[in-house]
Amino acid sequence: MSARLECEVLVVGGGLAGAMAALAARRSGARVALARRAPGATAVSSGAISSGTDPTELPGASLGARAGVADSARRLAALRPRHPYAVAGERLERLEEALAFAAGELSPVLAPFTGRHRWLPTPYGSFQAAALCQRSMVAADLGEARGRLAVVALRGHMAWDAGMVASAVERAAPLGGPRAEVARLDFPMWEEAALWRPHELAGFLERPGAAEDLGAMLRRSLPSGASAAVFPPVLGLSPGADVASRVAAAAGLPVAETLSDVPSVPGLRLQAALEARLRSAGVEILAGDLREGKGPGAPAACAGREVLAPSWVLASGRFVGGGIVRRGALAEPLLGIPVTAAEAFGDWGAHLARRPAASLTYREGRAPQPLLSAGVACDALFRPLDAHGAVIHERLFAAGAVLGGHDQAADGSGLGLAVFTGYLAGQAAAAGGSLAPAPAASGRPAGMLAPGGGGAGA
Amino acid sequence: MDHDVIVIGGGVNGTGVARDCAMRGLSVLLLEKQDFGVGASGNSSGMIHGGIRYMTSDRKVTALACRDSGYIRRIAPHLIFRIPFLMPFASKRDGATLLERAAWYATEVYVGTYDLYQPLKGGKPSSRLAPEELYAIEPALRPGLHGAVTLDEWGIDAFRLCALNALSSERHGAEVRNWTEATEVVKEAGRVIGVRWRDALTGETGFSRAPVVFNASGAWSPALGRRAGVSVPMRPGKGVHLTLDRRFSNYGIICTAVDGRQMFLMPHENDSIIGTTDDDYYGDPDDLEASSDEVEYLLEGVESLVPGVRRARVTRAWCGLRTTLYEYGKNEDDLSREHLLYDHAAEGAAGLLSFAGGKLASYRAQSEEVTDRILARLGRPPVACRTHEEPLPGGESLPDPAELARRHGVAQGVTARLAYRHGALAEQVLRLCGEDPRLKLCLCRDEGIIAAEVVHCARHEKVRRLQDLRRRCRLATGGCAGLDCARVAAQLAARELGWDAERVRAELSDLLELDWRERRAVLDGAQLAAEEMARAVHRGLGGL
Repeated sequence: MSARLECEVLVVGGGLAGAMAALAARRSGARVALARRAPGATAVSSGAISSGTDPTELPGASLGARAGVADSARRLAALRPRHPYAVAGERLERLEEALAFAAGELSPVLAPFTGRHRWLPTPYGSFQAAALCQRSMVAADLGEARGRLAVVALRGHMAWDAGMVASAVERAAPLGGPRAEVARLDFPMWEEAALWRPHELAGFLERPGAAEDLGAMLRRSLPSGASAAVFPPVLGLSPGADVASRVAAAAGLPVAETLSDVPSVPGLRLQAALEARLRSAGVEILAGDLREGKGPGAPAACAGREVLAPSWVLASGRFVGGGIVRRGALAEPLLGIPVTAAEAFGDWGAHLARRPAASLTYREGRAPQPLLSAGVACDALFRPLDAHGAVIHERLFAAGAVLGGHDQAADGSGLGLAVFTGYLAGQAAAAGGSLAPAPAASGRPAGMLAPGGGGAGA
Repeated sequence: MDHDVIVIGGGVNGTGVARDCAMRGLSVLLLEKQDFGVGASGNSSGMIHGGIRYMTSDRKVTALACRDSGYIRRIAPHLIFRIPFLMPFASKRDGATLLERAAWYATEVYVGTYDLYQPLKGGKPSSRLAPEELYAIEPALRPGLHGAVTLDEWGIDAFRLCALNALSSERHGAEVRNWTEATEVVKEAGRVIGVRWRDALTGETGFSRAPVVFNASGAWSPALGRRAGVSVPMRPGKGVHLTLDRRFSNYGIICTAVDGRQMFLMPHENDSIIGTTDDDYYGDPDDLEASSDEVEYLLEGVESLVPGVRRARVTRAWCGLRTTLYEYGKNEDDLSREHLLYDHAAEGAAGLLSFAGGKLASYRAQSEEVTDRILARLGRPPVACRTHEEPLPGGESLPDPAELARRHGVAQGVTARLAYRHGALAEQVLRLCGEDPRLKLCLCRDEGIIAAEVVHCARHEKVRRLQDLRRRCRLATGGCAGLDCARVAAQLAARELGWDAERVRAELSDLLELDWRERRAVLDGAQLAAEEMARAVHRGLGGL
């Protein structure tokens, strides 16, 4: 094992929450290591960052009149007392600051934060709110775009249906959005490309001349009066390739891509941007499983190195990331932190972690599912709590999906919450817990986790 | 009269009778309120077995079942696959007691007797395996077993078996309507004169006249009977199965559950199935869902012989209702698996026949028997049954997947599954790719579903809803919960069936709800992670 790595903050998890925590801690001047075993859920995300919409908004409300990002989060917090937004208390006021920070750190891919939601079309014929979106998506913002959007149909490939995207645009039209018209392009032109996966198409468009040819093709097929064109989400994998701008320059009008399902080219692009920024910011990245990690102040091993840090940020994700697992019972596998679950009707707490999965769900699939919002409970500083509600360690913080109390599929606060909690947790970790109020009930010395901290046998 | 006979129910008995009647020259209307096989047939274990359990009571039944298995293999050779089973010899303690040894010997003799019938169904004879032979072929078994006997049976895709019978009856002139509910059996002067029906998708209603109505609506039969003023005694038994995400063992393994019942783990198509429970069910047959307890019961039973099953990924828990004959005072397991044809003439509904009980494996023989009765009821001269001779659609020949792959430029993993599901018609599916190479797009790598298959099913296999594709080509039944395939398949179906964007969203939503019901009780490990991702896409992004 090579020399021990000593730093102020160790972040566990390499998705958006972990990256934000690491970058915020770096900004505060801390030395930061980030341990991750694989790209997390960020790489399979839609590619935009949503912070949650106002649950009280009427579906017919015009897009321009809808609550902004901060107001939406406040209303969400008011209705969901266990949501990390609500748990954050007054600190929720710093949501906009966190989002602006993320936009700045990831400015090669992310468009600036505006304070209002962007409304972006999806391949499913829906449109979704995003607090931050990629530069390659801005021109499809239905809250901003006017006139007539040309929705591009790639004739050579059957994975996307322009009619579905056009229906999403048309759905928003009565709410003040633009109209849609389908533009058919004979692209890709080769038989074998009809079977390419999204990332293969995206990789092709990065080649010299490919985006320009596509733009020229679009220019020839544009319906008259089109104000912008919307493509399937395949506009280049690498943040630097700038495929959207190249297509736009050749076509002579703004160009955007929709949000993506899985596999997600915009998600992979966002992940690549994260990694690039972490490296340029001087965060030490350790690729591998974290072993023998007993918590802050105790040595841990990752990627053949020993790491020692007095502050930790746990940003290990939920089920996709592996930060929370269920093997007969819900558990947090790294530190054995108790996992809090909610029942379909009412009850809530760590004691539900062993309940059968079905009893933590509703029969109606489209309803919010309590099982899917299981995670670690925390205090207002996002420090995980033990089964009795006491802070486990003064300098152990959590961020992102590992925190329970929110179901991103239901309230849409997934990556936005990762940005918010990651940013604040990173800052607090760098400050060495000095941002924290005086130690509460738990009087355990730093560097020790309660043995058998309630986590079910993983 | 519009028809000679109206068949209510698109399970294996309904479609089997519709086919036989149509082949014998009758004018047939088949009504299915949802899709073919949605009830007990499609949710059975998917086995064409020879009825080994009847050897103790009636050997003629075993002979009949074995002969019929052979016939099904003849008419649908593409859809049938071998499942060799192991019946391991387990002892309570280290050394086997005399009693245990005697029981094993009895099993060996019993299975040896069954061998006499195996030629009828084209099965292989059993063999006795020493412990080292047993562990060589099935290393996943727990240590300490004393060997096993093998037993040869057949598996089948039961949903497709129903659909093929329906499609075949249509080829022989029957009018086949899925998603059409029989709302009323109309009687006049003590005789049935026809059926009122309602199309669930278009809302169209109609009245079709026929002198004979055959009620083959399975667990829904008693309710239909009540509405017609007749009684169809039945004791429905709920059977739950689990699907694992891969072929977990090499062989089918007979296990003993905690209550001493026999159950099994078996490789089936591309995955493995664990089954089954058998419990009286008093609820609404439209409202059937597996519970956590049933899942646990099944896993515990398999764990007794295959401890690693706890690490397996369970992707679905699904269930159906056996239409067992009514009898008071017996355990579920001891109820007869025989079938009965009720003639309701004495109840003031002459011409109305109802079917209860029976087995998937014997559907063809059962259908022949019912069709004979229908002909007699109609006063027609007997016509010879040919359902054991004429292949089901696609059963005419067995294409070679490697050759198909070479000729059409499609991966062999895909052509193998296409040839399995479509038999001789795989060629027709692949020809679509010649016309439009984009249709080689692969929607599911597990099941080998390409766009062309979705188009083919939508055009030729009476697909009316997206969820029908679950049953035609196993769309969205795998571990990824439709993440890869559902949207693209919906788009393809929309082009064929003229759906607008709203209908596509409604169909997707309907399909996902159906899938969710089967996963709710098994959300654990990797399957829970898949659920989180699928929900983020379908509910979060798609707003479905």
